[in-house]
Amino acid sequence: MSSIVTAERLSKTFQVKVRDPGLRGALRALFRPHYRDVLAVRDVTFGIDPGEIVAFLGPNGAGKTTTLKMLAGLLYPTGGRVEVAGFIPWTGGPAFKRRIALVLGNRQQLVWDLPPEETFLLNRAIYDVGDGDYRERLAELVALLELGDVLQKPVRQLSLGERMKCELVASLLHRPPLLFLDEPTLGLDVTAQDAIRRFLIEYRDRHGATVLLTSHYMQDVTALASRVLMINRGRLLYDGALEALVARIARTKRIELVLGGGDGNRVTAEALAAFGEVKSFHFPNAVLEVRREDAPAMSARLLAALPVADLSIEDPPIEEVIRLAFARGGEEDE
Amino acid sequence: MEQWADETNAANLVMMFRVPTSAFRLLSAFWRLNVAEELQYRANFIASVLGTVFNLATALLTLSLFFHHTTTLGGWDYWEIVVLLGVFNALTGVIEAVLRPGIGQLAGEVRSGELDLVLVKPVDAQGFVSFRQLDIWRLTDIVLGLGLAGYALFRLGHTPSLAQLMAFGLTIAAAAVVVYAIWVVLMSLAFWFVSVENIAVLFDAVYEGARYPVSAYPGALRFLFVYLIPIAWTTTIPASALTGRLRPEIGLAAAAVAGVAFGLARALWRTALRRYAGASG
Amino acid sequence: MIRRYAALIRNAWLVDLQYRASIVLWLLWGVTEPAIALGIWWAIAGDGSVAGYARADFARYFFAVMLINQLTIAWDSWYLDRWIRDGELNFRLARPLHPAHEAVAENLAYKARTASVILVVWLVVAVAWPAVRLPFAPGRWAITAVAVVLAAAMRFFISFTTGLLAFWTTRATAIMELHAGVSLFLAGRIAPLALLPPAVAGIAGVLWFRSMLAFPVDLLTGTVQGTDAILRGLGGQIVWLGVWILAYRVAWSRGIRKYGAVGG
Repeated sequence: MSSIVTAERLSKTFQVKVRDPGLRGALRALFRPHYRDVLAVRDVTFGIDPGEIVAFLGPNGAGKTTTLKMLAGLLYPTGGRVEVAGFIPWTGGPAFKRRIALVLGNRQQLVWDLPPEETFLLNRAIYDVGDGDYRERLAELVALLELGDVLQKPVRQLSLGERMKCELVASLLHRPPLLFLDEPTLGLDVTAQDAIRRFLIEYRDRHGATVLLTSHYMQDVTALASRVLMINRGRLLYDGALEALVARIARTKRIELVLGGGDGNRVTAEALAAFGEVKSFHFPNAVLEVRREDAPAMSARLLAALPVADLSIEDPPIEEVIRLAFARGGEEDE
Repeated sequence: MEQWADETNAANLVMMFRVPTSAFRLLSAFWRLNVAEELQYRANFIASVLGTVFNLATALLTLSLFFHHTTTLGGWDYWEIVVLLGVFNALTGVIEAVLRPGIGQLAGEVRSGELDLVLVKPVDAQGFVSFRQLDIWRLTDIVLGLGLAGYALFRLGHTPSLAQLMAFGLTIAAAAVVVYAIWVVLMSLAFWFVSVENIAVLFDAVYEGARYPVSAYPGALRFLFVYLIPIAWTTTIPASALTGRLRPEIGLAAAAVAGVAFGLARALWRTALRRYAGASG
Repeated sequence: MIRRYAALIRNAWLVDLQYRASIVLWLLWGVTEPAIALGIWWAIAGDGSVAGYARADFARYFFAVMLINQLTIAWDSWYLDRWIRDGELNFRLARPLHPAHEAVAENLAYKARTASVILVVWLVVAVAWPAVRLPFAPGRWAITAVAVVLAAAMRFFISFTTGLLAFWTTRATAIMELHAGVSLFLAGRIAPLALLPPAVAGIAGVLWFRSMLAFPVDLLTGTVQGTDAILRGLGGQIVWLGVWILAYRVAWSRGIRKYGAVGG
């Protein structure tokens, strides 16, 4: 099966104006501007097959959104080449745009003052969706996303989760083979995040769509993506199956404690160190790092031994995972 | 005993606004922040001055066009009207610098419910909304406006006497109060017509009428500008104080009009606020 | 394409419906400016006339300005400026529809609403005030309609192209305001062009300003007489429309290229 998305040594360099502070600097910038190169995306190579759900994972400013915009045809590459659904995105034109759906961070596609239904009707016309197809697809999407009766309320009255769901409906009425989603679960509550993830999987299973999403949430990746592309500072650090990444990189878990008052005052750092590596300790909060497989058992022991008011088990922060991956010399492919 | 009475009166005055002295500190803190932010944008300063100069040039050109075809307008000479134009510009400078930034946000805040954040603050809402932001670049309008008025007086060969200057001071203060009252009315409208983002547009359109002496307008418009939307009191009166046309009784009437206008406006504001608080409870 | 325009216009109409009060305000602004100008010229004209314009002539002129300005006005520079700066252009570019169509549809929806109001107002005022009545001349009105369409199209392209400058500068709206300030005189908003110093009126005629507003207004009020003058006016409009369409296309292709380089 040939790839539906191909990127070969894809690069994007921005030129940013450099301005010295002060009046002299301002004048100099006006008459003889200096530029600095920002290498947002560097030599990124990957291929995606139809029907895959792929996550671009990386911290803010890593180059995920820039890559996505190049795939969607909003930016043109300064190096390398990219091909999506048989088109070069930048020059693809309307024929290419009918094959994709793009939902960006600011999510402003829905007309703010009108019910979402009006935006759906507008998109129906813009993408030339037949009446029968429109009704059928709308019904399916509304059912899958459990939208019920929010369609009649003005968008400004909807919650963030409802708005995101409606954004998805609006984007999928023309049933494109490709979905590009930029941080789709950002800012949503846990229920909404969960609903969106389940929807994307279901949608892909039904229609064979290819889904690319960017995220800096580990949970998006664990719940959704069979494959993850880790990007940091413009470089592709890891491309492969999720299980392998998790097993290889995120070998530890963090236990975050809140110690109770009274007896809690007497807990020392040394006492905590018996349970794991103490990452931070400012009473009443403490963070311990333990091996992944030890986390549940260690938590139980902590709860039994110490006056713990609150405890949670977290993944290590994404920056640390990436730092680890980077420190490993930037491996790519399984 | 007398001193105590004075303090009580002062306290009552302050109570009228329910503004503790900390509010002044609050305002100055806001303004200092605005100024610090704006000073970073020197280009804004140049753009602002250029904008004002351009507007003044347009106004003078328009006036020249009218005077191409006539020698007086409403009984006023060319340079007398330029004095009025300078006063107009100075007043718009005050509006743009002090009132518009804060009030402009109001309609959006009512819509989004952010107004509640304003209302819980321990200051008078009206004062806070009106004066919370300072667009310092617009202060140049005041300087340019008064400068233009001064130049026009020079061209008229008229140096205002002390009495006239005092009359000017009184009437321009009254004018500022009338303008402020009109704005408070518009602010109150934001509560009923919640989707009104462009209240300022309405003000701008109608306030254009204040560029010319009220005597230049035919009867119906004159009635409108004196009694209904009293913008005649804001520029014609102070300008005539400077040029010596002002009759003393009119000057006092201006002060009275200012008081009445402010009282009515504030009453409207409080009604609007009560209705809002009732609705969103 | 028609289906898409129908949908776009319907959307714009519905949004406008939400902002009824705002639109009333903008309408009032469109009426107040000519009204104040009329007030001043009324006073100046007195019982006589100014450069051939008596009071009734001024009244007719400024009512025509009210209507035709409302029919030809465009403000897309503000929209575009915001789209480019707030990142709202992105999702529009990802759609298989040129963003200009949305701007045109919005323009049409707004005008359908406001111009009809002004027309009604004019008719009502004409009942009470003979001065503003126009002679019944359907042929002239048909030609005026053509001139209005040409003027509206040209002003749209002027506005859109100025908005595209936002790809390069943060002062695109300032440039539009500069243009509006100049057109106050040269397009005939403050006074009929005949009242301007001849050199200035000449510039207005040579450049696109007369085509924007003054020419269609003069057509409607009957000031422009004779096939020769009418054809020359229409010809001027067509030429300048062509110039601004060209300017728009250059600005768009260059602007999109720049956008693809730096994003938004």
